[in-house]
Amino acid sequence: MAQESVAVRAPMVKGALPVDDPNAAVWSNATPATFPMSPQVHWPNRIQEVTVKDLSVRALHDGTQVAVLLEYADPTEDPDDAAALEFMVGDKKAHFAHGQPMAQVEGGPVNIWYWKNKDNKGVDMNAKGFGTLKVQTHQDVKAKGAYANGTWKVVFSRPLATEHADEDTQITPGGFINIAFAVWDGKKDATSGDLREKGSQKAVSSWWYFRAEAPPDYSGYYYAAIAVAVAFGFQFVLIRKLKKGQPA
Amino acid sequence: MGGSLLKPVILIGIVYAILKFVVPNIPGSAPLPSSLIFLYLMLTTTGIVIFATLSGESKDAFWGPIQRFLTGENIGGLQALRYAVLILFPLLVGWQTYGNTATSDAPPAENRTIHPAPPGEYTGLSNPVAKTPESIMQGKGFYAAFCSPCHGNFDGKGPAARGFSPPPANFSDPTTIAMLQESYLFWRIKKGGVGLPIEGMPWKSAMPRWEVELPDEWIWKIILGEYDGAHQSPRTWE
Repeated sequence: MAQESVAVRAPMVKGALPVDDPNAAVWSNATPATFPMSPQVHWPNRIQEVTVKDLSVRALHDGTQVAVLLEYADPTEDPDDAAALEFMVGDKKAHFAHGQPMAQVEGGPVNIWYWKNKDNKGVDMNAKGFGTLKVQTHQDVKAKGAYANGTWKVVFSRPLATEHADEDTQITPGGFINIAFAVWDGKKDATSGDLREKGSQKAVSSWWYFRAEAPPDYSGYYYAAIAVAVAFGFQFVLIRKLKKGQPA
Repeated sequence: MGGSLLKPVILIGIVYAILKFVVPNIPGSAPLPSSLIFLYLMLTTTGIVIFATLSGESKDAFWGPIQRFLTGENIGGLQALRYAVLILFPLLVGWQTYGNTATSDAPPAENRTIHPAPPGEYTGLSNPVAKTPESIMQGKGFYAAFCSPCHGNFDGKGPAARGFSPPPANFSDPTTIAMLQESYLFWRIKKGGVGLPIEGMPWKSAMPRWEVELPDEWIWKIILGEYDGAHQSPRTWE
């Protein structure tokens, strides 16, 4: 796989975002970021081995909406295949495992954007610790998946800002926020017929960074130009003074 | 251009070379940050200017060549150097200004403390389990069942480790459990990642809170097995 990434960067694009089309040409504007996945072992029920080992992530925004494209290898398409994005909400830090309570730090909730193959739509949720997951009364997230050649491509989209800052992550262009990922392979066990990955038994990532890129900022160049002008002026004055004071 | 200017230039060059190349090689030292080197060079320059302007005579000897270089006529090849200085100086100022004001594109820096101080009740506890071959073996059995998926063969490279940042601790590394007391490990295993104080960034750690699943005695045995398996000894008070 490609080298590990630290941040997903969503460049700003003009025109409609490809919220329904994981294969749209406009995705090539975004540089893919790659993140390693681990089985969820922080809290029971644990899982020791998961199907998805790496996740490739791209993102775009248009100034009002954001779209995030997950891509990962999964040998089989199953109705229970699922994927999710996780964000912190507000200023408080939240533990990456569903915002688990922390002993010495007051944590905040997490906002989870969830997609499952058989529904093929986005679900907007919140959690503050395992067992507290709940679907929001206001659904702002859209999601659409497409499976081909052993690869899932899933697009999540949402307005950058919403009216529910206490439940939804708010994305301000230029600022870094935390993002984490989860994936469930919906394949059933050949003998028992049970799902191998379900609920807390899933592939997870740590917290990484996400940024919707701000429009280019040229202020550094302006300040540099002013500094150059001041330095030239200083030299000009200095040399004039020296010349005046010079003995003939 | 007299020799009176050459000496200060050589002196500044020598001071720079010492700060940049000699100081970092002194045992127990480290490379100096460029801002500190800049500060030292400014001090040196200030000292030179004060020294050179102590008497009227030395003042003329010092400023004369500078004045001639900047404003004098018929200075031959130095004319080109003069224009180069007069052009390069403002550009340097502009470059510095840009470096100090341009917006950063990098994610926020993270200064995570790897071994933050434990709560008072977890300092100085001694292992209540006797260090016998049996208890070590039991501890290694528990380690294999609960710890090895992430911490692997005491090297932090278990099959479940790859997605976690920070990565699971490598117990064979002399900067992990060999630096810590058994009571510190007891705290970390019992309370897990979510038990860390804010400087340990508890929201990033995948370490489970084992107190809800394992009895204390098992944890103390795991500690015995862990030190034995990693070929390390706990830090003691002396």
